[in-house]
Amino acid sequence: MNKTPSFKDIFLKNAVIFNPVLIQLAGLCPVVAASTSLKSSAMLSAVAFAELIAVSVIASALLKKLPRWVRVPLYFVIGLALICPALWYVETQTLTVLSMSMKIFIPLIAINSVVAVHCEQFAVKNDVKTAFFSSAAAGIGASLVFVTAGALREIIGSSSIGGIELNLPVAFKGMTLPFGCLILLGFMSAVLKTFIGKKYPEYFGVHSSVAAKPGDELPEKEDIPAQQPDEASLPAEEKIPDSVSEEDIKIKTEEEIEEFFKSLGLDFEEKGDEG
Amino acid sequence: MSDKHKKQTAVKLSGLYGDYLVMLVAPLVLAVYQYGARALAVVASGIAGAVVTDIIFCLLLGRPFLLRDLSNVFTGAAMALMMPAGVPLYVPVAASFFAVGIVRIPFGGSLRSPFVPGAAGFAFASVCFKEQIFDYSYNSASKLMGEHSLGYILSQGKSVHLDAINVLDILSGNVAGPMGAGCALLMVACCAVLLLKRKNSLLTVAGFVAVCAVYAVIFPRVNASAFTSVFLELSSGALLFAAVFFLTDYASVPDGAVAKLICGGICGLFCMLMRTMGTYEETVCFAVLLANGFTPVINSGIGAIRNRFGKKEAAQ
Amino acid sequence: MKALTELFIVAFYTVFVQNLVLSSGLGISEAIRVSAKPGTFGRIAVMISGFSVVTGTLCGLIDMIPAVSGISFAMRGLIYGGVLAAVFALVAVIAKFIFGASDKFLSTLGIAALNTLVFAVPHINNHAAYSLAGSVGSGIGAGAAFVLAALLINKGSQLLKENEDIPEVFRGTPAMLFYVAMISLAFAGFSDTNIFG
Repeated sequence: MNKTPSFKDIFLKNAVIFNPVLIQLAGLCPVVAASTSLKSSAMLSAVAFAELIAVSVIASALLKKLPRWVRVPLYFVIGLALICPALWYVETQTLTVLSMSMKIFIPLIAINSVVAVHCEQFAVKNDVKTAFFSSAAAGIGASLVFVTAGALREIIGSSSIGGIELNLPVAFKGMTLPFGCLILLGFMSAVLKTFIGKKYPEYFGVHSSVAAKPGDELPEKEDIPAQQPDEASLPAEEKIPDSVSEEDIKIKTEEEIEEFFKSLGLDFEEKGDEG
Repeated sequence: MSDKHKKQTAVKLSGLYGDYLVMLVAPLVLAVYQYGARALAVVASGIAGAVVTDIIFCLLLGRPFLLRDLSNVFTGAAMALMMPAGVPLYVPVAASFFAVGIVRIPFGGSLRSPFVPGAAGFAFASVCFKEQIFDYSYNSASKLMGEHSLGYILSQGKSVHLDAINVLDILSGNVAGPMGAGCALLMVACCAVLLLKRKNSLLTVAGFVAVCAVYAVIFPRVNASAFTSVFLELSSGALLFAAVFFLTDYASVPDGAVAKLICGGICGLFCMLMRTMGTYEETVCFAVLLANGFTPVINSGIGAIRNRFGKKEAAQ
Repeated sequence: MKALTELFIVAFYTVFVQNLVLSSGLGISEAIRVSAKPGTFGRIAVMISGFSVVTGTLCGLIDMIPAVSGISFAMRGLIYGGVLAAVFALVAVIAKFIFGASDKFLSTLGIAALNTLVFAVPHINNHAAYSLAGSVGSGIGAGAAFVLAALLINKGSQLLKENEDIPEVFRGTPAMLFYVAMISLAFAGFSDTNIFG
C-alpha cells in the first residue's frame, strides 16, 4: 500500500496530465513575455526547472509546519536568493552576454506561479523524495512547453532557429508578440488534450473543467486534498509514514479528478464537455 | 441553450452572408476599375485562403464542410478589399488562415465566434506585414496625393485645406488607400441597404461614427477646421468599411439598442486613441476586436442595471 | 499640476498603450486565475496598485542612491525583490496582528503582492526612467490594467462556457487561450513591441 510511486506515475501526472502551463495555466508570464527564441526559452526553462526543484525540496523539508500565507512569500524569497546570485555570477564572472529582456525576466522567474502552485499542491504535502521527483516532472513538463513555444516562435516569427537564419519565404512577426504565444499555447493545449483523450481516456474532460473556470487563487490549505492526512488529526495508531502510496499519487477515477480540481478552487460540476 | 444561441441557430447563414456579399460587389467593382486584375487576384487569394483553411480544419476535426454558408467567402473578400492592391498574395492568404483557423473554427463557427474573424485576420496581417499592408504605392500615380494616403496625411499633422474638387476625390475613393474601402459614398449606400435589411445593427455604426467624429473635433490631428478634421478622419483608411461590415456582425455585437450604441462608441474611442497613440496607420480592426472583448461586459452591465431598476419598479 | 499630469499620462499608458497584462503578459496567469472570482477584482486591483506604488516608489528612491545606480541587473532584482518581500511582510503582519485578518485574506494579499506584474513595476520604472509621480502612475496603472484584463477574461470565459458549438478538441483551456490571445491582439493596435525590447 505504501510503496513509493514509480517515476512514470509521477511524471505522467505532473508533466502531462496536469501540465503546469498547458493545463493549470501557471507560469504563463515567462513563456508569453520572454520566450521569443530558442535560446531565451532554454535559458528561462533551465532557471525555472532548477528553481522549482530547489524550492520544492526546501518547502517539503522545512516549510510544512508554517501557515500558507508565510510559506508563499518564502518560496519567492528562496527563489530570489538562488537565482539572483547565479545571474550575477553569469553576468559578471563569465563572458555570457544576456539581452536586456533576459536580465530582467530571469529574476522574475523567482516569482512565477508554477513554483507556488506546485509547492502548495504537492511539495508541502509529501516527503522530500516525492517532492523532488514531482517537481522534476512538473519542471520537465513546463520546460518542454517553454522550449517548444520558444523554438516555434523563433521559426515562425523570426525565420531562424537558435540564431541561425532559416531564410523562410515569410516570417510572421506577430508570433513574437504575447498574442502569438497564447495562440501557440492554445494549439499545444489542444494537441495535449487530444493525446490524453486517446492515450489516457480516463483523464479526458479534465481540461474542459479547467477552462470552464480557468483557475482560481492558490488553493487554501484546508481545501487541498491531502495526499496524506494531517498526522496531528489522527489517532496514534492511524498515523502514517511520510511516504505516499501509489494509489495516493495516481489519480485514476473521475471522482479523484474532481477532488483534484476542487483543490484548485475549480468547480468540476461546470463541465464544458462530456469527455 | 441560451436565448441568444437559439436566435443565432435560427439565422440562415447563407442569407446573412449573401446580403453582405451583395454589398461587397460595389467596392469590388470599384477596386477592379481602379486597380485592374490585380484587385481580383488579391480578393481571390483571400477567398481561396479562407475556403481552403476551412476545408483543412473540417477534415482534421471530422466535420462536414459547408461552402453554402458563405461566411468564408465573405471573410476572405472583406479582408482583401481592406488591403492595398499591390499587397503580396500571401498576405490575404495568411490573414484568411488566421481568421478562419484561429478565430472562426475554434470558437464554434461564424455565428458563435465572440470576435469578428475578418477584423482579427486584418489585425494579424497588420502586425505581421506592416510594410506591405500600408504600402499604397501600387498604381497610385493618378491619385489625389499620389501614393500618400489620408491616414499618412493625418499622421503628419500638417495644415490641410479642402475644396470642392478634392472633397469629391476623397468621397469617391480617388486617393491612395485600401483598394475597396476608400469610397465613402459606397459605404453610405451599404448603410442604406443595411437600413432595409437589419436596421438595428446600424446603431453600432452610429455610435462608432459619432464618437470618432467627436474625438476628431476635440483632438484634431491636422491643422484645419473641425469639419475638415472630421471629414478626413472618417474618410481615411477602412474606417467606414470596417464599421459597416464588421461592427454589424451578427454574433459579436451586443443585444439591445443602448448596448449597441455603447459598443460602437467604445470601438470609436479606441480606434481614435490607437490612431493618435498607436503605431499603425489603420487601427479600426484592432478597435473592433477590443469592442468585441467588451461586448460581454456591456451585456452583463446593462443586464445588471435592468435587473436593479426592474426590482426597484417592482418594489414601488 | 505637472506631476499630476505625468501621473495620469503614465497610468493611462500603463493601462491602454502598453497594457502590462494583455500587451506584455505580466501577471497573466494570476489574471486568468482571479477572473474566476469576479467579486475579488476590486480588492485585488487596489492591493496590486498599493503594492506596486509602494514598492515602485521605494525602489525608485533606492535607485537614486549613487552606489546602487550602477549595479548589475541581478543585484537590482535582488534589491527590488527584497523590498517587495519586506513590504508584503510588513502589510501582512499589520493585517494579521493589528486588524486580525483571516488566513484567506492574507492569501489573497499574497497573490496580489507576489506576482510578476508587481515585481516588474520597479523594473519598468527604472527602465523608463519615470519620476516619482510617474512611478506612482505606473503602480496605479498596473492595478487598473490587471482589473481590466481580469474583467474581460471573466466575461469571455462565461461566454465560452455557454458556447456548445466549440469543437471538442478546442473546448476548455485551448479556447480560453485563444480568447485571451484575441484581446491581446487587440491591444497590439497600441503597441507592437515587447516591453523590455
